[in-house]
Amino acid sequence: MATGRTVSRWTRFAVDDSAGTPREIPINTLSPVGLVYDMTEHTNWQDAVKNYLANHPDAVIEIGGSFDNSAAAALAASGAAPVLSGSHTVLNPISAPTFTTPLGLWIAIGIRGYWATGDPAFGVVAPSATSGYVCEKYQTDFVTYVASFKPHPGTTPAWGTAIIT
Amino acid sequence: MATGRTVNRWTRIYHDGYDISGMSRSIGMAGMLYDMADLTTLNDSVKGYLRRVGHVNAETVNAVLDNTAVTGLHTVGLTAGAKRTLLIAAGIRAEPAAGDPCFGGQFTQGAYQLSDDGGAVAATLPYGGWATDATFSHNYRPFGILTHAKGAETAVNTAIGLDDEGAATAQGGYMTYQVLAGNGTATLKIQDAATNTDPSFADITGVTTGSINCAVVQHGIVAATVSAIRRYLRWQIVFGTATTVTFALGFTRG
Repeated sequence: MATGRTVSRWTRFAVDDSAGTPREIPINTLSPVGLVYDMTEHTNWQDAVKNYLANHPDAVIEIGGSFDNSAAAALAASGAAPVLSGSHTVLNPISAPTFTTPLGLWIAIGIRGYWATGDPAFGVVAPSATSGYVCEKYQTDFVTYVASFKPHPGTTPAWGTAIIT
Repeated sequence: MATGRTVNRWTRIYHDGYDISGMSRSIGMAGMLYDMADLTTLNDSVKGYLRRVGHVNAETVNAVLDNTAVTGLHTVGLTAGAKRTLLIAAGIRAEPAAGDPCFGGQFTQGAYQLSDDGGAVAATLPYGGWATDATFSHNYRPFGILTHAKGAETAVNTAIGLDDEGAATAQGGYMTYQVLAGNGTATLKIQDAATNTDPSFADITGVTTGSINCAVVQHGIVAATVSAIRRYLRWQIVFGTATTVTFALGFTRG
């Protein structure tokens, strides 16, 4: 791991395939990552400034990138260069109506180098039958694609420093 | 087939038995989008969702006006509000080949509109979601593979098949067919096999056009009536009175 500032070229994105194996896929757009809270306003007449309390947070992830039907490949290890699987190869099966398994999802922020254990990461790195992400959308014009994911009920996506398993 | 990335110059669009690629300029984003039900409860730490109804959509074909008799878009796409059988084949850095990704189904064409686009007279064909009057309801992956790229066949298929999945699947599937030319009757099918040898292939139950007159354009979708789809897939043809048939086939697993 390293510390300090970085640029997006070191960001990695992985999601489980339909067999539950994490696969890294190409991305070139990524929505803001992290929890964002619904803010309930509690301002009353007597307050000098508006005031709020945080209600449930959300953790929607939207990505886009190149359409790619390459074969699935094993996820690169900590500190190694990314090994990409085809975006179409991974996203097509998990967007079928018949597929309902929560997905592991991992966004890793490498610090001026290939992501290594200890660098920031967000998502659900150890999914279960009741915890993970749900694929909301997969659309493509066969050149680029867009996809979005929302947390399965009972899931708490979180920041961490570990690789997806 | 090839794998990897591509550009849209290799995309081909078949619409109700006609190849409209030579009149089309781009397609919108096709695929699957779900309504998501918010199931967050008071003691959840983060909002949680489950899928509700999916929307499988073909978006829009952006084209140019072409009023060529019989095959022009101004002829084959002029009647909006009609159910259309679409098959979009994605060639991977080359003309589409068997094994390449495809998107197929029956969608309602919402409009046929002409407009100026920088001086060009453009035609726009927006499609709605899966047609209510489609041959069957959609409950499959959004994308399949091209089992037969557009081309003519004059003999039955004895070749080995395609390994699109690496394993058998258990959620059924459907064929999208587009017959562009022919000289008589024939039956188109999809076959599957557990081992990739010619004698191992057998018809997937239900995935057949039945005997159709290929001397006129034909198109449609047919679903398997079994759930188990074996690992390897290939096209098949049974000639009736026809001796040559030009067609494209896609197969989408569940």
